[in-house]
Amino acid sequence: MTREPRVIADGVSKWFGPLVAVADVSFDVGPGVTALLGPNGAGKSTMFRMLCGLARPSKGTVRVLGRDPRTDTDVARHIGLVPQQEGVFEPLTAREFVALSARLQGLADPVRAAAAALEQVDLDPSDSRRLPTYSKGMRQRVKVAQALVHDPGVLILDEPLTGLDPRQRVDMVLLLRRLGAEGRCVIVSSHVLGEVERLGSQVLVMSQGRLAAAGDFRELRALMDDRPLRIRVRTDRPRVLAGALLEAGAAVGVRLDGEDVLEVDTSDARALARTLAPVSRDRGARLFEVHPLDADLEGVFRYLVER
Amino acid sequence: MTTAGAAASVAARPGALVALYRLLLRTQVTVQRLLGIGALGALAVVMGIFARLDSNSPQAAADVVSSYGLAVLVPLATLWLGTAAIGDLVEDRLLAYLWLKPVARWQLPAAAIMATFTIVLPLTVLPLTASTLVAGASDVAPAALLASALAALAYSGLFVAAGVWFGRAVWVGLTFVLVWENGAAYSAEGAARFTVVGWASSVLGLAPDVELQLDAGRAGVAFVVLPAVAVGAWLAASWRYARADID
Repeated sequence: MTREPRVIADGVSKWFGPLVAVADVSFDVGPGVTALLGPNGAGKSTMFRMLCGLARPSKGTVRVLGRDPRTDTDVARHIGLVPQQEGVFEPLTAREFVALSARLQGLADPVRAAAAALEQVDLDPSDSRRLPTYSKGMRQRVKVAQALVHDPGVLILDEPLTGLDPRQRVDMVLLLRRLGAEGRCVIVSSHVLGEVERLGSQVLVMSQGRLAAAGDFRELRALMDDRPLRIRVRTDRPRVLAGALLEAGAAVGVRLDGEDVLEVDTSDARALARTLAPVSRDRGARLFEVHPLDADLEGVFRYLVER
Repeated sequence: MTTAGAAASVAARPGALVALYRLLLRTQVTVQRLLGIGALGALAVVMGIFARLDSNSPQAAADVVSSYGLAVLVPLATLWLGTAAIGDLVEDRLLAYLWLKPVARWQLPAAAIMATFTIVLPLTVLPLTASTLVAGASDVAPAALLASALAALAYSGLFVAAGVWFGRAVWVGLTFVLVWENGAAYSAEGAARFTVVGWASSVLGLAPDVELQLDAGRAGVAFVVLPAVAVGAWLAASWRYARADID
Protein backbone atom coordinates (compact mmCIF):
# COMPACT_ATOMS: atom_id res chain seq x y z
CA MET A 1 0.00 0.00 0.00
CA THR A 2 1.41 3.39 -0.94
CA ARG A 3 1.38 6.04 1.75
CA GLU A 4 0.72 9.08 -0.40
CA PRO A 5 -1.24 11.63 1.61
CA ARG A 6 -4.99 11.67 1.04
CA VAL A 7 -5.74 14.30 3.66
CA ILE A 8 -3.44 17.24 4.32
CA ALA A 9 -3.77 19.95 6.94
CA ASP A 10 -1.22 22.72 6.55
CA GLY A 11 -0.89 25.31 9.30
CA VAL A 12 -4.58 25.08 10.09
CA SER A 13 -6.03 27.31 12.80
CA LYS A 14 -9.61 27.97 13.77
CA TRP A 15 -10.77 30.58 16.20
CA PHE A 16 -14.20 31.69 17.35
CA GLY A 17 -13.79 35.27 18.53
CA PRO A 18 -11.16 35.19 21.26
CA LEU A 19 -11.34 31.38 21.61
CA VAL A 20 -8.68 29.48 19.68
CA ALA A 21 -10.07 25.99 19.02
CA VAL A 22 -7.28 24.76 16.72
CA ALA A 23 -3.85 26.36 16.55
CA ASP A 24 -1.43 25.92 13.67
CA VAL A 25 -1.97 22.20 13.10
CA SER A 26 -0.19 20.43 10.25
CA PHE A 27 -0.30 16.77 9.35
CA ASP A 28 -0.93 14.45 6.47
CA VAL A 29 -2.76 11.17 6.49
CA GLY A 30 -2.46 8.37 3.96
CA PRO A 31 -4.33 5.10 3.44
CA GLY A 32 -5.05 2.94 6.47
CA VAL A 33 -6.58 3.71 9.83
CA THR A 34 -5.39 6.76 11.76
CA ALA A 35 -6.75 7.65 15.17
CA LEU A 36 -7.27 11.25 16.22
CA LEU A 37 -6.98 11.40 19.98
CA GLY A 38 -7.35 14.09 22.56
CA PRO A 39 -9.29 15.00 25.68
CA ASN A 40 -12.59 16.85 25.46
CA GLY A 41 -12.03 20.37 24.17
CA ALA A 42 -8.79 19.46 22.43
CA GLY A 43 -10.16 20.58 19.07
CA LYS A 44 -10.77 17.15 17.51
CA SER A 45 -14.32 17.77 16.32
CA THR A 46 -13.43 21.22 14.99
CA MET A 47 -10.52 19.62 13.12
CA PHE A 48 -12.87 16.97 11.70
CA ARG A 49 -15.31 19.65 10.57
CA MET A 50 -12.52 21.43 8.73
CA LEU A 51 -11.28 18.20 7.14
CA CYS A 52 -14.78 17.68 5.71
CA GLY A 53 -15.21 21.28 4.64
CA LEU A 54 -18.03 21.83 7.11
CA ALA A 55 -16.05 24.67 8.67
CA ARG A 56 -13.65 27.06 7.03
CA PRO A 57 -10.18 27.32 8.61
CA SER A 58 -9.45 30.78 9.98
CA LYS A 59 -5.91 30.25 8.73
CA GLY A 60 -4.10 27.56 6.78
CA THR A 61 -5.35 25.07 4.22
CA VAL A 62 -6.99 21.65 4.16
CA ARG A 63 -6.77 19.38 1.13
CA VAL A 64 -8.58 16.11 0.58
CA LEU A 65 -7.32 14.22 -2.45
CA GLY A 66 -5.64 17.46 -3.47
CA ARG A 67 -8.83 19.50 -3.41
CA ASP A 68 -10.37 22.01 -1.03
CA PRO A 69 -13.33 20.27 0.65
CA ARG A 70 -14.82 23.64 1.59
CA THR A 71 -15.20 25.05 -1.90
CA ASP A 72 -15.08 21.98 -4.16
CA THR A 73 -18.50 20.38 -3.76
CA ASP A 74 -17.53 17.48 -5.95
CA VAL A 75 -14.89 16.16 -3.54
CA ALA A 76 -17.77 15.13 -1.27
CA ARG A 77 -18.15 12.11 -3.55
CA HIS A 78 -14.95 10.77 -2.03
CA ILE A 79 -15.62 11.57 1.63
CA GLY A 80 -17.80 9.65 4.06
CA LEU A 81 -18.55 11.29 7.41
CA VAL A 82 -19.93 9.81 10.60
CA PRO A 83 -20.65 12.86 12.74
CA GLN A 84 -20.54 12.72 16.51
CA GLN A 85 -24.08 13.96 17.05
CA GLU A 86 -26.74 11.36 17.76
CA GLY A 87 -29.55 13.06 15.85
CA VAL A 88 -31.10 11.39 12.82
CA PHE A 89 -33.97 12.25 10.50
CA GLU A 90 -36.80 11.00 12.67
CA PRO A 91 -39.46 10.30 10.03
CA LEU A 92 -37.12 8.01 8.07
CA THR A 93 -36.35 4.30 8.27
CA ALA A 94 -32.74 3.15 8.17
CA ARG A 95 -33.02 2.22 4.50
CA GLU A 96 -34.63 5.54 3.62
CA PHE A 97 -31.91 7.44 5.45
CA VAL A 98 -29.07 5.56 3.76
CA ALA A 99 -30.86 5.69 0.38
CA LEU A 100 -31.18 9.47 0.80
CA SER A 101 -27.43 9.65 1.21
CA ALA A 102 -26.98 7.48 -1.89
CA ARG A 103 -29.42 9.61 -3.86
CA LEU A 104 -27.64 12.83 -2.90
CA GLN A 105 -24.37 11.19 -3.92
CA GLY A 106 -25.93 10.60 -7.32
CA LEU A 107 -25.76 6.80 -7.27
CA ALA A 108 -27.71 5.09 -10.02
CA ASP A 109 -29.50 2.60 -7.76
CA PRO A 110 -29.75 4.20 -4.32
CA VAL A 111 -32.07 1.57 -2.84
CA ARG A 112 -29.78 -1.31 -3.72
CA ALA A 113 -26.72 0.64 -2.55
CA ALA A 114 -28.49 1.37 0.76
CA ALA A 115 -29.33 -2.29 1.28
CA ALA A 116 -25.72 -3.29 0.62
CA ALA A 117 -24.37 -0.65 3.01
CA LEU A 118 -26.77 -1.69 5.78
CA GLU A 119 -25.79 -5.31 5.37
CA GLN A 120 -22.15 -4.29 5.79
CA VAL A 121 -22.94 -3.06 9.28
CA ASP A 122 -25.13 -6.06 10.10
CA LEU A 123 -28.46 -4.28 9.89
CA ASP A 124 -31.58 -5.59 8.18
CA PRO A 125 -32.36 -3.46 5.09
CA SER A 126 -35.99 -4.58 5.16
CA ASP A 127 -36.57 -3.25 8.70
CA SER A 128 -39.53 -0.87 8.38
CA ARG A 129 -39.16 0.72 11.82
CA ARG A 130 -38.35 4.41 12.00
CA LEU A 131 -34.94 5.48 13.26
CA PRO A 132 -36.04 6.83 16.67
CA THR A 133 -37.10 3.29 17.63
CA TYR A 134 -33.54 2.01 17.08
CA SER A 135 -31.11 1.57 19.95
CA LYS A 136 -28.17 3.94 20.19
CA GLY A 137 -25.84 1.26 18.85
CA MET A 138 -28.11 0.53 15.87
CA ARG A 139 -28.37 4.22 15.03
CA GLN A 140 -24.60 4.45 15.20
CA ARG A 141 -24.33 1.65 12.65
CA VAL A 142 -26.88 3.35 10.40
CA LYS A 143 -24.70 6.47 10.49
CA VAL A 144 -21.73 4.38 9.42
CA ALA A 145 -23.81 2.81 6.62
CA GLN A 146 -24.77 6.22 5.21
CA ALA A 147 -21.09 7.18 5.23
CA LEU A 148 -20.10 3.99 3.38
CA VAL A 149 -22.91 3.88 0.85
CA HIS A 150 -21.00 5.65 -1.94
CA ASP A 151 -17.78 3.71 -1.36
CA PRO A 152 -15.66 6.74 -0.38
CA GLY A 153 -11.87 6.80 -0.47
CA VAL A 154 -11.72 8.93 2.67
CA LEU A 155 -13.78 8.01 5.71
CA ILE A 156 -13.96 10.30 8.73
CA LEU A 157 -15.62 8.95 11.85
CA ASP A 158 -16.16 11.01 15.00
CA GLU A 159 -16.53 8.64 17.96
CA PRO A 160 -17.96 5.73 15.91
CA LEU A 161 -17.69 3.27 18.80
CA THR A 162 -19.94 5.28 21.09
CA GLY A 163 -23.09 3.43 22.09
CA LEU A 164 -22.01 0.07 20.73
CA ASP A 165 -22.05 -3.01 22.93
CA PRO A 166 -18.80 -5.02 23.26
CA ARG A 167 -19.67 -7.41 20.44
CA GLN A 168 -20.65 -4.54 18.13
CA ARG A 169 -17.45 -2.71 19.02
CA VAL A 170 -15.39 -5.69 17.97
CA ASP A 171 -17.33 -5.91 14.69
CA MET A 172 -16.94 -2.17 14.07
CA VAL A 173 -13.21 -2.29 14.77
CA LEU A 174 -12.88 -5.20 12.32
CA LEU A 175 -14.90 -3.33 9.69
CA LEU A 176 -12.80 -0.19 10.03
CA ARG A 177 -9.59 -2.19 9.92
CA ARG A 178 -10.80 -3.92 6.77
CA LEU A 179 -11.70 -0.61 5.16
CA GLY A 180 -8.24 0.69 6.02
CA ALA A 181 -6.58 -2.47 4.72
CA GLU A 182 -8.49 -2.04 1.44
CA GLY A 183 -6.61 1.20 0.89
CA ARG A 184 -9.08 3.73 2.19
CA CYS A 185 -7.97 6.61 4.35
CA VAL A 186 -9.89 6.09 7.59
CA ILE A 187 -9.61 8.74 10.30
CA VAL A 188 -11.27 7.86 13.59
CA SER A 189 -11.62 9.78 16.81
CA SER A 190 -12.41 7.93 19.96
CA HIS A 191 -11.91 8.22 23.67
CA VAL A 192 -11.92 4.40 24.07
CA LEU A 193 -8.17 4.09 23.78
CA GLY A 194 -8.04 0.32 24.07
CA GLU A 195 -10.15 -0.03 20.95
CA VAL A 196 -8.28 2.67 19.07
CA GLU A 197 -5.14 0.67 19.77
CA ARG A 198 -6.74 -2.31 18.04
CA LEU A 199 -7.70 -0.18 15.05
CA GLY A 200 -4.10 0.54 14.13
CA SER A 201 -0.95 2.15 15.33
CA GLN A 202 -1.06 5.51 13.55
CA VAL A 203 -2.21 8.31 15.83
CA LEU A 204 -2.63 12.05 15.81
CA VAL A 205 -2.77 13.45 19.33
CA MET A 206 -4.33 16.85 19.90
CA SER A 207 -4.15 18.76 23.13
CA GLN A 208 -5.43 22.28 23.78
CA GLY A 209 -5.95 22.88 20.08
CA ARG A 210 -2.45 21.87 19.08
CA LEU A 211 -1.05 18.75 17.53
CA ALA A 212 0.89 17.14 20.37
CA ALA A 213 2.19 14.18 18.38
CA ALA A 214 1.74 12.24 15.16
CA GLY A 215 2.94 8.83 14.07
CA ASP A 216 3.11 5.26 15.32
CA PHE A 217 2.24 5.30 19.01
CA ARG A 218 4.84 2.63 19.82
CA GLU A 219 7.55 4.78 18.25
CA LEU A 220 6.20 7.78 20.12
CA ARG A 221 6.50 5.87 23.37
CA ALA A 222 10.06 4.92 22.60
CA LEU A 223 10.91 8.57 22.03
CA MET A 224 9.63 9.60 25.44
CA ASP A 225 12.98 9.12 27.09
CA ASP A 226 12.38 11.94 29.54
CA ARG A 227 9.71 9.89 31.27
CA PRO A 228 10.47 6.56 32.99
CA LEU A 229 8.73 3.46 31.77
CA ARG A 230 6.73 1.70 34.45
CA ILE A 231 6.85 -2.10 34.72
CA ARG A 232 4.63 -4.23 36.92
CA VAL A 233 6.45 -7.23 38.41
CA ARG A 234 4.68 -9.93 40.43
CA THR A 235 7.07 -11.89 42.60
CA ASP A 236 7.13 -13.76 45.91
CA ARG A 237 9.90 -11.47 47.27
CA PRO A 238 9.02 -7.92 46.17
CA ARG A 239 11.01 -6.08 48.86
CA VAL A 240 14.19 -8.01 48.19
CA LEU A 241 13.84 -7.60 44.44
CA ALA A 242 13.12 -3.86 44.75
CA GLY A 243 16.32 -3.30 46.69
CA ALA A 244 18.33 -5.41 44.27
CA LEU A 245 17.07 -3.56 41.19
CA LEU A 246 17.85 -0.17 42.75
CA GLU A 247 21.26 -1.41 43.80
CA ALA A 248 21.96 -2.67 40.27
CA GLY A 249 20.95 0.69 38.80
CA ALA A 250 18.27 -0.91 36.63
CA ALA A 251 15.46 1.03 38.34
CA VAL A 252 15.09 4.72 39.05
CA GLY A 253 12.18 4.13 41.40
CA VAL A 254 10.16 1.31 42.94
CA ARG A 255 6.78 1.05 44.61
CA LEU A 256 5.33 -1.89 46.48
CA ASP A 257 1.71 -2.67 45.72
CA GLY A 258 0.20 -5.28 48.03
CA GLU A 259 1.84 -8.54 49.05
CA ASP A 260 3.43 -9.59 45.80
CA VAL A 261 3.45 -6.71 43.33
CA LEU A 262 6.28 -4.35 42.59
CA GLU A 263 6.04 -1.39 40.22
CA VAL A 264 9.42 -0.49 38.81
CA ASP A 265 10.23 2.79 37.07
CA THR A 266 13.11 2.56 34.64
CA SER A 267 14.63 4.93 32.14
CA ASP A 268 16.14 2.03 30.19
CA ALA A 269 13.70 -0.79 29.58
CA ARG A 270 16.29 -2.94 27.81
CA ALA A 271 18.74 -2.69 30.69
CA LEU A 272 15.99 -3.70 33.09
CA ALA A 273 15.08 -6.65 30.90
CA ARG A 274 18.70 -7.80 30.92
CA THR A 275 19.05 -7.34 34.66
CA LEU A 276 15.72 -8.55 36.05
CA ALA A 277 16.11 -12.28 35.48
CA PRO A 278 19.68 -12.73 36.82
CA VAL A 279 19.03 -10.47 39.83
CA SER A 280 15.85 -12.41 40.66
CA ARG A 281 17.73 -15.69 40.40
CA ASP A 282 20.59 -14.44 42.57
CA ARG A 283 18.18 -13.21 45.30
CA GLY A 284 15.95 -16.29 45.14
CA ALA A 285 12.89 -14.33 43.96
CA ARG A 286 10.42 -16.16 41.72
CA LEU A 287 8.91 -14.07 38.91
CA PHE A 288 5.22 -14.70 38.17
CA GLU A 289 4.47 -11.77 35.87
CA VAL A 290 6.31 -8.93 34.13
CA HIS A 291 4.07 -6.41 32.42
CA PRO A 292 4.73 -2.90 31.07
CA LEU A 293 2.10 -0.52 32.43
CA ASP A 294 2.30 2.47 30.13
CA ALA A 295 3.80 1.28 26.91
CA ASP A 296 0.30 1.13 25.49
CA LEU A 297 -1.61 3.90 23.77
CA GLU A 298 -3.13 5.13 27.00
CA GLY A 299 0.32 5.69 28.45
CA VAL A 300 1.37 7.62 25.37
CA PHE A 301 -1.82 9.65 25.41
CA ARG A 302 -1.57 10.46 29.11
CA TYR A 303 2.00 11.54 28.73
CA LEU A 304 1.32 13.79 25.77
CA VAL A 305 -1.72 15.59 27.10
CA GLU A 306 -0.48 15.94 30.68
CA ARG A 307 3.00 17.24 30.04
CA MET B 1 -18.13 -2.33 -0.92
CA THR B 2 -21.17 -0.97 -2.65
CA THR B 3 -20.92 -0.47 -6.36
CA ALA B 4 -24.51 0.33 -7.13
CA GLY B 5 -23.76 2.76 -9.88
CA ALA B 6 -21.59 5.58 -11.00
CA ALA B 7 -22.33 9.06 -9.73
CA ALA B 8 -23.61 11.74 -12.06
CA SER B 9 -22.11 15.22 -12.19
CA VAL B 10 -23.03 17.86 -9.62
CA ALA B 11 -24.52 20.26 -12.15
CA ALA B 12 -27.15 18.04 -13.75
CA ARG B 13 -28.95 16.32 -10.91
CA PRO B 14 -32.56 17.30 -10.43
CA GLY B 15 -32.84 14.05 -8.47
CA ALA B 16 -31.00 15.67 -5.57
CA LEU B 17 -33.44 18.58 -5.50
CA VAL B 18 -36.38 16.18 -5.49
CA ALA B 19 -34.78 14.08 -2.74
CA LEU B 20 -34.23 17.16 -0.57
CA TYR B 21 -37.74 18.41 -1.27
CA ARG B 22 -39.28 15.08 -0.24
CA LEU B 23 -37.12 14.91 2.87
CA LEU B 24 -38.09 18.41 3.97
CA LEU B 25 -41.76 17.73 3.33
CA ARG B 26 -41.56 14.77 5.68
CA THR B 27 -39.57 16.54 8.37
CA GLN B 28 -41.79 19.62 8.32
CA VAL B 29 -45.14 17.88 8.45
CA THR B 30 -45.90 17.04 12.07
CA VAL B 31 -49.26 16.42 13.69
CA GLN B 32 -48.72 19.41 15.97
CA ARG B 33 -48.12 21.77 13.06
CA LEU B 34 -51.01 20.41 11.01
CA LEU B 35 -53.42 20.76 13.92
CA GLY B 36 -52.16 24.23 14.84
CA ILE B 37 -52.31 25.68 11.34
CA GLY B 38 -55.50 23.74 10.61
CA ALA B 39 -57.15 25.41 13.61
CA LEU B 40 -56.05 28.85 12.40
CA GLY B 41 -57.48 28.00 8.98
CA ALA B 42 -60.76 26.80 10.47
CA LEU B 43 -61.04 30.12 12.25
CA ALA B 44 -61.01 31.85 8.85
CA VAL B 45 -63.98 29.73 7.76
CA VAL B 46 -65.86 30.60 10.96
CA MET B 47 -65.18 34.28 10.29
CA GLY B 48 -66.59 33.75 6.79
CA ILE B 49 -69.84 32.48 8.32
CA PHE B 50 -70.13 35.67 10.36
CA ALA B 51 -69.28 37.77 7.29
CA ARG B 52 -72.32 36.26 5.57
CA LEU B 53 -74.50 38.03 8.14
CA ASP B 54 -73.11 41.39 7.10
CA SER B 55 -75.23 43.51 4.77
CA ASN B 56 -72.20 43.98 2.50
CA SER B 57 -70.92 40.42 2.62
CA PRO B 58 -68.33 40.76 -0.22
CA GLN B 59 -66.66 43.64 1.63
CA ALA B 60 -66.85 41.72 4.93
CA ALA B 61 -65.37 38.62 3.27
CA ALA B 62 -62.53 40.70 1.78
CA ASP B 63 -61.88 42.23 5.21
CA VAL B 64 -61.57 38.73 6.71
CA VAL B 65 -59.07 37.74 4.03
CA SER B 66 -57.16 40.99 4.35
CA SER B 67 -57.09 41.61 8.10
CA TYR B 68 -56.94 37.98 9.25
CA GLY B 69 -55.87 35.85 6.29
CA LEU B 70 -53.10 37.96 4.79
CA ALA B 71 -52.07 39.69 8.01
CA VAL B 72 -52.17 36.75 10.45
CA LEU B 73 -52.92 33.30 9.02
CA VAL B 74 -50.60 33.20 6.03
CA PRO B 75 -47.56 34.86 7.69
CA LEU B 76 -47.83 32.89 10.95
CA ALA B 77 -48.36 29.53 9.24
CA THR B 78 -45.46 30.18 6.90
CA LEU B 79 -43.33 31.46 9.76
CA TRP B 80 -43.93 28.26 11.74
CA LEU B 81 -42.99 26.00 8.85
CA GLY B 82 -40.50 28.11 6.93
CA THR B 83 -38.13 28.90 9.79
CA ALA B 84 -38.17 25.22 10.76
CA ALA B 85 -37.37 23.90 7.28
CA ILE B 86 -33.62 24.44 7.58
CA GLY B 87 -33.61 25.91 11.09
CA ASP B 88 -34.60 22.57 12.63
CA LEU B 89 -31.78 20.83 10.76
CA VAL B 90 -29.34 23.36 12.20
CA GLU B 91 -30.78 22.98 15.69
CA ASP B 92 -30.75 19.16 15.53
CA ARG B 93 -27.25 19.23 13.99
CA LEU B 94 -28.42 17.24 10.97
CA LEU B 95 -27.20 19.63 8.32
CA ALA B 96 -23.83 17.86 8.02
CA TYR B 97 -25.61 14.90 6.40
CA LEU B 98 -26.88 17.16 3.61
CA TRP B 99 -23.98 19.59 3.34
CA LEU B 100 -21.26 17.00 2.70
CA LYS B 101 -22.78 15.85 -0.57
CA PRO B 102 -21.97 16.70 -4.19
CA VAL B 103 -25.03 18.89 -4.41
CA ALA B 104 -25.07 22.54 -5.51
CA ARG B 105 -25.56 24.75 -2.46
CA TRP B 106 -28.61 26.52 -3.89
CA GLN B 107 -30.62 23.29 -3.92
CA LEU B 108 -31.33 22.95 -0.20
CA PRO B 109 -32.81 26.46 0.23
CA ALA B 110 -34.78 25.95 -3.00
CA ALA B 111 -36.14 22.64 -1.75
CA ALA B 112 -36.99 24.21 1.61
CA ILE B 113 -38.96 27.04 0.00
CA MET B 114 -40.78 24.60 -2.29
CA ALA B 115 -41.62 22.26 0.60
CA THR B 116 -42.82 25.12 2.82
CA PHE B 117 -44.97 26.51 0.03
CA THR B 118 -46.39 23.06 -0.73
CA ILE B 119 -47.56 22.59 2.85
CA VAL B 120 -48.71 26.15 3.50
CA LEU B 121 -50.71 26.39 0.30
CA PRO B 122 -53.53 23.94 1.16
CA LEU B 123 -53.49 24.90 4.84
CA THR B 124 -54.05 28.61 4.23
CA VAL B 125 -55.24 29.26 0.70
CA LEU B 126 -58.04 26.70 0.84
CA PRO B 127 -59.61 27.92 4.11
CA LEU B 128 -59.33 31.55 3.03
CA THR B 129 -60.97 30.78 -0.31
CA ALA B 130 -63.57 28.72 1.52
CA SER B 131 -64.26 31.60 3.91
CA THR B 132 -65.20 33.85 0.96
CA LEU B 133 -67.48 31.14 -0.41
CA VAL B 134 -69.28 30.52 2.89
CA ALA B 135 -69.66 34.30 3.18
CA GLY B 136 -71.54 34.20 -0.10
CA ALA B 137 -68.87 36.32 -1.81
CA SER B 138 -67.85 34.04 -4.63
CA ASP B 139 -66.62 37.08 -6.63
CA VAL B 140 -63.93 37.62 -3.97
CA ALA B 141 -62.78 33.99 -4.01
CA PRO B 142 -60.41 34.12 -7.04
CA ALA B 143 -58.68 37.26 -5.78
CA ALA B 144 -58.42 35.76 -2.27
CA LEU B 145 -56.89 32.61 -3.71
CA LEU B 146 -54.33 34.51 -5.77
CA ALA B 147 -53.47 36.98 -3.03
CA SER B 148 -52.96 34.35 -0.35
CA ALA B 149 -50.99 32.05 -2.68
CA LEU B 150 -48.62 34.84 -3.71
CA ALA B 151 -48.23 35.97 -0.10
CA ALA B 152 -47.48 32.36 0.93
CA LEU B 153 -44.79 32.17 -1.76
CA ALA B 154 -43.11 35.40 -0.66
CA TYR B 155 -43.29 34.51 3.03
CA SER B 156 -41.94 31.01 2.32
CA GLY B 157 -38.83 32.55 0.84
CA LEU B 158 -38.43 35.12 3.61
CA PHE B 159 -38.87 32.70 6.49
CA VAL B 160 -36.72 29.93 5.03
CA ALA B 161 -34.01 32.57 4.59
CA ALA B 162 -34.56 33.70 8.18
CA GLY B 163 -34.04 30.08 9.31
CA VAL B 164 -30.69 30.03 7.53
CA TRP B 165 -29.55 33.47 8.71
CA PHE B 166 -30.73 33.65 12.30
CA GLY B 167 -30.44 31.38 15.32
CA ARG B 168 -33.77 32.47 16.79
CA ALA B 169 -35.53 32.78 13.48
CA VAL B 170 -39.04 32.31 14.89
CA TRP B 171 -38.66 35.37 17.09
CA VAL B 172 -37.04 37.39 14.33
CA GLY B 173 -39.89 36.38 12.02
CA LEU B 174 -42.56 37.10 14.60
CA THR B 175 -41.12 40.56 15.19
CA PHE B 176 -41.10 41.11 11.42
CA VAL B 177 -44.76 40.07 11.11
CA LEU B 178 -45.98 42.12 14.07
CA VAL B 179 -43.83 45.22 13.74
CA TRP B 180 -43.25 45.50 10.01
CA GLU B 181 -46.08 43.72 8.25
CA ASN B 182 -48.80 44.73 10.70
CA GLY B 183 -47.33 47.96 12.06
CA ALA B 184 -45.07 49.79 9.66
CA ALA B 185 -47.27 48.86 6.68
CA TYR B 186 -50.04 51.10 8.07
CA SER B 187 -47.82 53.77 9.58
CA ALA B 188 -47.17 56.00 6.59
CA GLU B 189 -48.37 56.45 3.09
CA GLY B 190 -46.28 54.38 0.72
CA ALA B 191 -44.94 52.11 3.47
CA ALA B 192 -47.12 49.28 2.21
CA ARG B 193 -44.95 49.10 -0.89
CA PHE B 194 -42.24 47.61 1.26
CA THR B 195 -44.42 44.88 2.76
CA VAL B 196 -45.66 41.52 1.54
CA VAL B 197 -49.08 42.12 3.04
CA GLY B 198 -49.37 45.41 1.14
CA TRP B 199 -48.74 43.84 -2.25
CA ALA B 200 -50.95 40.84 -1.42
CA SER B 201 -53.74 43.27 -0.54
CA SER B 202 -53.28 44.88 -3.94
CA VAL B 203 -53.99 41.50 -5.53
CA LEU B 204 -57.03 41.05 -3.29
CA GLY B 205 -58.18 44.42 -4.54
CA LEU B 206 -58.84 42.80 -7.93
CA ALA B 207 -62.12 41.56 -6.42
CA PRO B 208 -65.04 43.68 -7.58
CA ASP B 209 -66.71 46.21 -5.29
CA VAL B 210 -64.32 45.95 -2.36
CA GLU B 211 -62.20 48.63 -0.73
CA LEU B 212 -59.14 47.74 1.25
CA GLN B 213 -57.23 49.77 3.82
CA LEU B 214 -53.88 48.57 2.51
CA ASP B 215 -52.81 48.98 -1.09
CA ALA B 216 -49.20 48.93 -2.25
CA GLY B 217 -49.81 49.63 -5.90
CA ARG B 218 -51.10 48.11 -9.09
CA ALA B 219 -52.02 44.43 -8.89
CA GLY B 220 -50.01 43.68 -12.01
CA VAL B 221 -46.85 44.84 -10.23
CA ALA B 222 -47.69 42.59 -7.28
CA PHE B 223 -47.54 39.56 -9.56
CA VAL B 224 -43.87 40.45 -10.18
CA VAL B 225 -42.90 41.79 -6.75
CA LEU B 226 -44.14 38.89 -4.60
CA PRO B 227 -42.37 36.11 -6.58
CA ALA B 228 -39.32 38.38 -6.77
CA VAL B 229 -39.29 38.58 -2.97
CA ALA B 230 -39.22 34.77 -2.84
CA VAL B 231 -36.41 34.60 -5.40
CA GLY B 232 -34.40 37.28 -3.58
CA ALA B 233 -34.83 35.49 -0.28
CA TRP B 234 -33.78 32.21 -1.89
CA LEU B 235 -30.60 33.85 -3.24
CA ALA B 236 -29.86 35.33 0.18
CA ALA B 237 -30.43 31.95 1.84
CA SER B 238 -28.21 30.18 -0.69
CA TRP B 239 -25.44 32.75 -0.26
CA ARG B 240 -25.52 32.37 3.51
CA TYR B 241 -25.79 28.56 3.43
CA ALA B 242 -22.76 28.27 1.13
CA ARG B 243 -20.66 30.32 3.53
CA ALA B 244 -21.91 29.06 6.88
CA ASP B 245 -19.91 26.86 9.20
CA ILE B 246 -21.90 23.66 9.65
CA ASP B 247 -22.07 22.09 13.10
